[in-house]
Amino acid sequence: MALTQVSSNKCAGGLQKVYEHESTELMCKMKFAIFLPSKAETNKLPVLYWLSGLTCTEQNFITKAGSQLSAEEHGIIIVAPDTSPRGCNIEGEDESWDFGTGAGFYVDATQDPWKTNYRMYSYITNELPKLINANFSANPDKMSISGHSMGGHGALICAMKNPGKYKSVSAFAPICNPMQCPWGQKAFAGYLGSDRSTWEAYDATVLAGSYTGPQLDILIDQGRDDQFLSASQLLPDNLISVCSEKNIAVVFRLQPGYDHSYFFIYSFFNDHMKHHAKYLNI
Amino acid sequence: MAMYEVSGGRLDVISEEAEHQDSPTTTMDHHTVAPEGRGRGVSLQRFSVDTNESLRFEPYQGSTPSPTGADDGLDEDDDDVFKEGETQRAIHSTRHQLQEKVAEMENFAGHLEEIFLTVEENFGRQEQHLEQHYNDVLQTLSQRYDERAAALEEEKKNKLEALYQQLLACGRALDASKELIESAQEIYRCQDKRLFLKGVMATIKRIEEFSKEEPDLTLSTSLEFNTSPADLSDVKTMMDSINVVPAPSAPVINPQIPNSASQTSLRVCWSLFSDDTVEYYELYYGPVLEDTPAEGNSSPQVSKVKVKETHITVTELQPNAQYELWVTATNTTGISPASEKALYMTVPSPPVVKHRECSSCPEAAMIRWESGNTNPVDSYTVELSEIGTDGTEGAVTESVVGVPTCHCLIQLQSGRRYVIAVRAVNVGGPSDRSDVITVKTTGTFFHLLEDTAHPCLSISEDGFTIFYGDEELPISAMASDDNTFTRCVAVLGDLIPVRCRHYWEVEVDDGTEFRIGVAYADTERNSYLGANTSSWCMRHILSPSRHKYEFLHNGWSPDLRITVNPVRIGVALDYERETLSFFNVDLQQHLHTFYCHFQSYVHPCFSMDNPGVLTVHNGIQASEYVFM
Repeated sequence: MALTQVSSNKCAGGLQKVYEHESTELMCKMKFAIFLPSKAETNKLPVLYWLSGLTCTEQNFITKAGSQLSAEEHGIIIVAPDTSPRGCNIEGEDESWDFGTGAGFYVDATQDPWKTNYRMYSYITNELPKLINANFSANPDKMSISGHSMGGHGALICAMKNPGKYKSVSAFAPICNPMQCPWGQKAFAGYLGSDRSTWEAYDATVLAGSYTGPQLDILIDQGRDDQFLSASQLLPDNLISVCSEKNIAVVFRLQPGYDHSYFFIYSFFNDHMKHHAKYLNI
Repeated sequence: MAMYEVSGGRLDVISEEAEHQDSPTTTMDHHTVAPEGRGRGVSLQRFSVDTNESLRFEPYQGSTPSPTGADDGLDEDDDDVFKEGETQRAIHSTRHQLQEKVAEMENFAGHLEEIFLTVEENFGRQEQHLEQHYNDVLQTLSQRYDERAAALEEEKKNKLEALYQQLLACGRALDASKELIESAQEIYRCQDKRLFLKGVMATIKRIEEFSKEEPDLTLSTSLEFNTSPADLSDVKTMMDSINVVPAPSAPVINPQIPNSASQTSLRVCWSLFSDDTVEYYELYYGPVLEDTPAEGNSSPQVSKVKVKETHITVTELQPNAQYELWVTATNTTGISPASEKALYMTVPSPPVVKHRECSSCPEAAMIRWESGNTNPVDSYTVELSEIGTDGTEGAVTESVVGVPTCHCLIQLQSGRRYVIAVRAVNVGGPSDRSDVITVKTTGTFFHLLEDTAHPCLSISEDGFTIFYGDEELPISAMASDDNTFTRCVAVLGDLIPVRCRHYWEVEVDDGTEFRIGVAYADTERNSYLGANTSSWCMRHILSPSRHKYEFLHNGWSPDLRITVNPVRIGVALDYERETLSFFNVDLQQHLHTFYCHFQSYVHPCFSMDNPGVLTVHNGIQASEYVFM
């Protein structure tokens, strides 16, 4: 698992780097961004995995979210992987922006031709953490997860499917109930097939209904003027009502005036960092 | 060691006797040795052995060329025994005791010397005094003598003169009679009868006349000198006055010595002039009435006490009261004038700590108390001591003195336990300690300001559970003072005014609609908490479909959803960061943070929008996540 450094820039006192590696899970070259706070030189630090949304690469988050200052402040490494395998030469992978390249949906595909490469769930929960723990000054016992939109969905399902693995979870405008929204239905049908029962394993709202494990504390921010909210792609109410029923602790904040963009993420990222620091640093 | 010596001594006697009996020769030797044997115990033991078998003594003597030398050697061994037996400490303590004794004796000698000098000085002065006195007396006497002598001389002269005159008169009378006799004889002898007859008649006439004259033969002056009895009474008084002591002069009463008074007693001291002899003193004292009654007639009651010493502790006085005192001194001759009047003051009664009005936080405590005295006192002293981990109260570690008011904010170390008490202080000194209050600096602790409570609220006996009953209150009960919430069924907490981090928790049930948060002390009483700019609160609303939570300030709340209803809410106030955060304590879940700009100190506030119960939990250490 050789890592190739693609770039390294000093940022907020630490280093913002990008690496490339040959993924065994995805059978292709993958890039990920990692921010190493200055404390990482001497300490093993907790890691926050950030999952980006549709169409993103590892670059969007590190250039737009303004995460580095608070990550340096709290001494937390942030790892931001790409959102899908790339260059796998699968037919149709680049046809649409909400399926294929840049739209891995953090599932392990079961359907041809995707099932060989599109194993983002295993990549995120298994291969990538091992890689990070082996190559960086990371504390393997302290990891949290967060994400935006499709990445918010990814973060929620990773946390709910692996009770205790992540110390905390948060999301910005997550796709809360993909089985019930056009994006999710398109992706799940493509990657998982037509049997909707197999979709349930990757649907946060469904997973919340059957969650057992350590008490979760989920922070969700949602822009009120998010066009995808009004287009019923995100469906946070479904998740909230299940969580209320199941006593899963969620603070859901509807932020007036904000849309779905990284400007919105930028505005509230500090709160999320604090939310994770509460569980990672105590 | 003492026992050893005693037994050794007895042995000594026995052995000496034995030796006398046994062999005179060895006894002689013994006597030469014994005086040099300082370590008697050991040498005596040897002697006793020797005396039992005197033969052995001989070889010993013989084997030692010099008995004295041998004995010296043994003495050294003996000293070693001493060194081993006696601990260094004992020597030290003995030396120490001796040094103390020496110091005492030196001190005593110094005193004696002082006394000697004083006595000598006094004696000299007395001697001088007496000499002066006697000189005066002698002078008076000699003057008296001179006067009397002169008077006698005068009298004598007068008498002599008178006698001389009488003598002269007698001489003249004698001459006259002699001449008469001669002339009569001449006539008698005359032969010429005619002549005789001629002359006889005249002579007879003269003789008759003469015989008629009776010469005054009594002494014209008495033989006795007319000595009037000498009046020596003044001399007598002078002589008497040599031994009589004068009446003492007015004693000097001392000003009050700090810390010499108690709540009901005063220790008074005064001094006399060193020349005065005093048999006893009389101390007069009476309270100084600051507000003299208008009638003015009821003069303060003056008490009197007779003392031999120059000090007394007068008792049964009023606390925190001023007394006027003066002293007279009396001896056999008379009574002195009164001393100046001194003002003394009894110490105040201890203050009474108002436990329900004390508050604390990890950095400080606010202690409030009642004076406990009707008259004002000068100041208060707050004393604090830390309670150790083993629960023992340490010595007073810190005092805050000169507190002018009935409350004090004391800086403390966090995470400790303190015992705090207050003393009232006036010129007489500090009062006894008030009852103590125990302060734990593990969290923020406050009581509710019950005078702010809406009339519909009732508060439990311990002061931390708030009930909103559903019975209708009569309008009369709604009449309340300005401090009471009139609209919002609310009550404020008395948070300590310290700009640090404060944390408390509120227990509710999820059927209770509540508003909890903070508000300025003067937040509008006829407005709802969170509806104005002077309060910040978390509000729970029960809607038919769900539980709704708002975080209200100035009537506005962010739009947020909370899936798990908090029933124990942590409220974290951080003045430094100007934040007010709410947590679901059971889940350690952060719910909301206000970013505020507090213009002044705020108080916790609690209110209910429907009947229910709400309990405040206080003095809790905030978990680490609360202020991260």
